[in-house]
Amino acid sequence: MAAYILRRLWQMLPTLLGVVVLVFLLFNWVGGDPAYILAGKMSNPAQIANIRKQLGIDESYWVQLWIFVKQIVTMDFGASWSTGETISHVLSTRLGPSLTVLVPLTILETLISIGLALGVAYVRGSLTDRMVMIACTVGMSISILVYIIVFQYVLAYKFGWFPVQGWGDSFSENLFHYALLPILIGLTVSIAPSLRLFRTFFLDEISQDYVRTARAKGLSEPRILWVHVLRNAAIPVVTYVMSNLPALLIGAFLIERFFSIPGIGREIILAVERSDFPVIKAITVYVAAATMLFNLLADLLYKAIDPRVQLK
Amino acid sequence: MSCRLFFRLCRALSLCLTLLCLCVWPLQQAQAADPEKILHAVFVAPENGFDPAISRDLYSAQVVQSIFETLYTYDYLARPAKLAPQTAEALPEITDGGKTYTIHLKKGIYFYPDPAFGGKRRELTMADYVYSFKRLLDPKLASPHSWLFEGKVVGFDELAAQAKKTGHFDYNAPVAGFELLDRYTLRVHLKHPDFNLGMILAHEPTSAVAHEVVEKYRDVAGQVMGHPVGTGAYYLAEWVRGSRIVLDANPGYRGFTWNFQAGSDPEDQAIVAAMKGKRMPQIGRVDIRVMVEDQSRWLSFIDKQVDLVELQGPLAPKALINGKLRPELAAQGIQLSRIIDPEISYNYWNMQDPVVGGLTKEKIALRRAIALAYNPQEEIAIVWNGEAVPLEYPIPPGIVGYDPDYRSSVHYNPRLANALLDQFGYKKGADGYRTLPDGKPLTITYSARADSNGRQQSEIWKKVYNSLGIRMKDNMMPFPDLLKAEKQCELMSRNSPWIADYPDADNFMQLFYGPNTHQNNNGCSQIPEYDALYAASQKLPDSPERNLLYHKMARVLEVYAPIRVGYARYRNMLAQPNVIGYKKHPILHCEWLYFDMKKEKK
Repeated sequence: MAAYILRRLWQMLPTLLGVVVLVFLLFNWVGGDPAYILAGKMSNPAQIANIRKQLGIDESYWVQLWIFVKQIVTMDFGASWSTGETISHVLSTRLGPSLTVLVPLTILETLISIGLALGVAYVRGSLTDRMVMIACTVGMSISILVYIIVFQYVLAYKFGWFPVQGWGDSFSENLFHYALLPILIGLTVSIAPSLRLFRTFFLDEISQDYVRTARAKGLSEPRILWVHVLRNAAIPVVTYVMSNLPALLIGAFLIERFFSIPGIGREIILAVERSDFPVIKAITVYVAAATMLFNLLADLLYKAIDPRVQLK
Repeated sequence: MSCRLFFRLCRALSLCLTLLCLCVWPLQQAQAADPEKILHAVFVAPENGFDPAISRDLYSAQVVQSIFETLYTYDYLARPAKLAPQTAEALPEITDGGKTYTIHLKKGIYFYPDPAFGGKRRELTMADYVYSFKRLLDPKLASPHSWLFEGKVVGFDELAAQAKKTGHFDYNAPVAGFELLDRYTLRVHLKHPDFNLGMILAHEPTSAVAHEVVEKYRDVAGQVMGHPVGTGAYYLAEWVRGSRIVLDANPGYRGFTWNFQAGSDPEDQAIVAAMKGKRMPQIGRVDIRVMVEDQSRWLSFIDKQVDLVELQGPLAPKALINGKLRPELAAQGIQLSRIIDPEISYNYWNMQDPVVGGLTKEKIALRRAIALAYNPQEEIAIVWNGEAVPLEYPIPPGIVGYDPDYRSSVHYNPRLANALLDQFGYKKGADGYRTLPDGKPLTITYSARADSNGRQQSEIWKKVYNSLGIRMKDNMMPFPDLLKAEKQCELMSRNSPWIADYPDADNFMQLFYGPNTHQNNNGCSQIPEYDALYAASQKLPDSPERNLLYHKMARVLEVYAPIRVGYARYRNMLAQPNVIGYKKHPILHCEWLYFDMKKEKK
């Protein structure tokens, strides 16, 4: 197991290097020149040249790439070009609000989707199954923007059930007051596709011989579904959930904008608008590394779920 | 007790009482701000940070203006904006034909207490201002506001050039142009006459910062974006970056008595009646939230979570009908403060471009024809929801030098425009599109930001060019790329907005001055007649003589048509009924030092 993990970690290096080179090339190709924004309204060529010098973007591409690699190795991405805030501070302060919304959302989404998917898979072909599938299709066809605007207007403003927007200082206030509506919207948007996907996983398993055998042995339906079917369908479910986890690090941009949540999603968009390369490259590298780590974790979980899986 | 002893006791007692009163009096002065008066305000975009030398966005500037102080500011009610002393004793004494300014500082102004001062009260002196001005030219800081002093003060550019060579800016080195006569008096020696220095010294990047604070809290780039310490009416009590900023009234602020005179606006009388004689500031806390989305801001305002909000773009129709507050909102006591922003939006054609540029007759005719075919009213209606006014003059209302009676010779007239093109040999081909007089194809590229407004503007201009039979190609670009191409004179045509840094016509007329090419002269125009007139105008203070030069310059722009003057947008601010005496100022970024509000209900 340890050898497998070490080998996988070693294999991540060339992938990460590819990401680094790609990000670097993309930024220098289409990223825009931040010096022109930082120079302000009344800029002149000498001032722009000075800003480029201060930012280090007047150096050759090789030197800039080498600095980028050194930053990754030392985990010190410097400071934002726009605000002077250190990248470590940007990440540490913005991740919390994003995770406050996204962690409960991911947990609830997974649990609710699994429960509902098992239920509709059990009554496959019934009116309930068809109605749920139609509702899922309709729900998936509507943009998240519509959900946000309607829910914010109706549930928050008209009914006053939730705050229209905002974010406080304490974790409990944020989680149980400000994050509720964003989580509800997130659930409304994300449950439908998860439910449809999980349903197909469960249907594949329900039609297996071992389910018929279990029924013949007189096991109760809940036990068949929650123990046997769920465990056998767990590998694709874990794959799906794990592939979604890195998204926690990039936040939920639209939800953060509308509900004034000072999260990482909003920060990324701001960084792109401002051509703030230190922020962009730090987040990109972290997300790439997280994606690879979560993939590794998924592989390890496969082994835990199904002992027949061999890690090679 | 003997009589003598009794009198001694009485004398001692009265002395103690007097001393007590003297101690308490300034405290009472400073405690005018009521902590129960909490203003809930909104920023439309996140702030960057609060270093006056570095902050470059409007929202950071609002906080900077609340915490730091400049030598000068603007009268709250006077329109056009009128310079007034802030930390200076009086308006500057200008001598030597506009080349020497003598400024006296008020005594007894103190910075907000900070550990950087080692537990001592730190008085503001003129040396702090000189230090703050020097920061603007420190190459390491790369301040976006260096233009405020570049090329102006005797010996200052030389010090900056030295710093560029050595890599070290010597803040202790004397600058001949900044002559400190004593702790409270500064004499500024300029290289050339400049009658706008007073306004420059009212611009928040010139605010006083203390060198101790910079030395203690600066980052590797020398900036102090996160620890602002000033002498202003407020201090930064809480800051969650990009989300919330809380400003509390500075208990040590000297305060002032509200005594502004009503201007020409009839609403001024009511403001004066409500505010006159009040000790300022009244608002004890300003709680600012960043709300990027229109809907969030609007719902928060009508839900009374926010006291003051700016109606941007699509929000205006929700609250206004024909520029007036909707009756249902007016009935709730909501107040509207509406001004024309001190800005112009103009379309330029690149004067260095081989197709549209140059001073030959056929090129002038081409640009004039396009200018005549453009209808600013249409753009105002479609792109700006009617929230702008067309301009006749390159100087907008509210700016010193604006002339409401000036009438442009360029008005919407597509028939005349087509006739002009016909006359100068821009013939239409079989496909309905014109060619250049030499028969080569004529295509004009219009560039705009790759956003919804940019796309709408591009559509408007497509219609203009179609009405003339000219092919137009649109070029939607991200903003940084657009800026870069513009500064390098690579764009053929674009609609460019400009908002005043200081309320003087010079700030607008410099946009078309030849030597400002690659700086702010986006159309890269170099028209000798215009340049000569502008150079002459710089030597004059605000006067009929200078206004005459501006008239001539505006006519030159109409004749050669390097630009088409478009419009200035309205700025609409809504205030809840609990806000007292609010009026949007065209130049000041925030006004909470000048108005009052009712206490929050507990």
